Amino acid sequence: MIELRELRKSYGGVEAVKGVSFVAETGSVLGLLGPNGAGKTTIMKVLTGYHFPSSGTALVDGIDVSEDPIAVKARVGYLPESVPLYQDLTVAEYLDFVADARGLAGGERASAIERAVASCGLSGVYRKKVEDLSKGYKQRTGLAQAILHDPPILILDEPTTGLDPNQIIEIRALIRSLGESKTVILSTHILQEVEAICSRVIILSEGRVAAQGAPSEIGDALKGEERIVLRLKSASRPVDRERLSGIPGLRSVASLESESPGVWAAEIAMPPASSASGAMEAGELVFDWAVANGLKVLELERRRLSLEEIFVKLTQEGDGR
Amino acid sequence: MKNVLAIAKRELRSSFNSPVAYAVILGFLLFTGVYLYFIRGFYAVGQADLRVYFSIMPIVLCFLVPALTMRSWAEERRLGTYELLLTLPFSERQLVLGKFLSSFALAALALLLTLPVPIAASMLGSFDAGMLATQYLGVLLEMAAAVAIGEWISSLAKNQVSAFIGAVLALLVLVLVDRVASFLGSGGLVASFLNWLSLSFHYDSFSRGVVDSRDLAYYLSAAVLFLYLSAWGLTRRKWS
Repeated sequence: MIELRELRKSYGGVEAVKGVSFVAETGSVLGLLGPNGAGKTTIMKVLTGYHFPSSGTALVDGIDVSEDPIAVKARVGYLPESVPLYQDLTVAEYLDFVADARGLAGGERASAIERAVASCGLSGVYRKKVEDLSKGYKQRTGLAQAILHDPPILILDEPTTGLDPNQIIEIRALIRSLGESKTVILSTHILQEVEAICSRVIILSEGRVAAQGAPSEIGDALKGEERIVLRLKSASRPVDRERLSGIPGLRSVASLESESPGVWAAEIAMPPASSASGAMEAGELVFDWAVANGLKVLELERRRLSLEEIFVKLTQEGDGR
Repeated sequence: MKNVLAIAKRELRSSFNSPVAYAVILGFLLFTGVYLYFIRGFYAVGQADLRVYFSIMPIVLCFLVPALTMRSWAEERRLGTYELLLTLPFSERQLVLGKFLSSFALAALALLLTLPVPIAASMLGSFDAGMLATQYLGVLLEMAAAVAIGEWISSLAKNQVSAFIGAVLALLVLVLVDRVASFLGSGGLVASFLNWLSLSFHYDSFSRGVVDSRDLAYYLSAAVLFLYLSAWGLTRRKWS
């Protein structure tokens, strides 16, 4: 388990993390999402004991990182963004060093190396020098290093960069299965990755938490409006923006076009359910309006904002301020 | 201690997997050999005395040691393995000691490989084995101090080249500063301070076959001081 309380970190005069708090439970995969410079890597460096916080606390399994960094490091497996490999060692020698560093000995050591090599698919390159490996294998060697001692906490900074699509699927499956018993924190800028493996997501913008929650619910929480996609059939009068403005509570019309004679497609923004008039759902209001105006509803769909849209929205709002 | 050895082992493996260490050691042996036999004409002089050989060691170390220590931290930073080292469960002291140990081992290995020189010379005439031992001890002690300084400079440098140049310059200054003292005359306070500072001044008595506890203390405390500075620098970085 990981807990951050009002974490702040400055480098020189620049504050990279400005008061971030969150909890990551055991048995979950938490995704940190954000543009470059949002503070993802800095948070990870604090959690791995590489940097000490400027203020606030970071607890790893209840241990304060600035009080007992060695104990924290022993519990954490870390894959930094630039994969830390010694070019002139073989994969075997590299993992041997990490096993030494992790204090693994005897049978435990052999089985740990075997397990990491197998789950990262490294057996074919085990005796090769790191400098001769492809980018994908380098990335996997880095991951093998991180999981070698079967750590309860796993921190992965952009773990799937440089992998081909098949490898990405394999590694994501591996991370998902590791997440069942461990606390996994990963950072990424690939939004599908968050949807594919994370049980929770935190969107960071300029060193602050802009939103957090499950990938599916995070949209609802921050939208502040409902998007509805409509297809309407009108026998007589055409549907134009002025007619749509008759919908009770309508915020704006995002798009409106004539699809075929007598059929219009529109996307409109409505206030969220809680603040809509009469506590009616937005879809209900639209439907009633259409019926009252003699329009046939061919399609009515509440659209979720994709993570991309949320991401852009949140992080651009941050920039504008 | 296990951690220190793990770090040193990794360093030595990397060193022997790449040609750099072999080249540096070979260069050292070639240069010192050529100097003794050709430049100073060991056989022509006809004296079974290796003082000449050991007298150039302080200057040679100014190049040998930086060549071995320049990679140490600068290379870790270039490869990004610096981040791995600092997130593995090592303390700063263990990191500094492990790296010191591996560079010192390489330097000592280079020195060990010079043993055929006195062995060959001893066949030509009678040799003072005790004197030879103190000469070797003197070089080893100076190496320890120089390696600690080289490691420290590597921990500050941005890349290998600046680590090498920085360490060569620092060591040359420390080795040659007693020459300045001899210009000033031996009596003054400044001169004796400069002598005290000099890496080669403390080496002189060893090369004459004398072990002075003050010289011993000088080398050991210089090594400890710079190891401490390196560890302190690592810790300080975590806060900035």
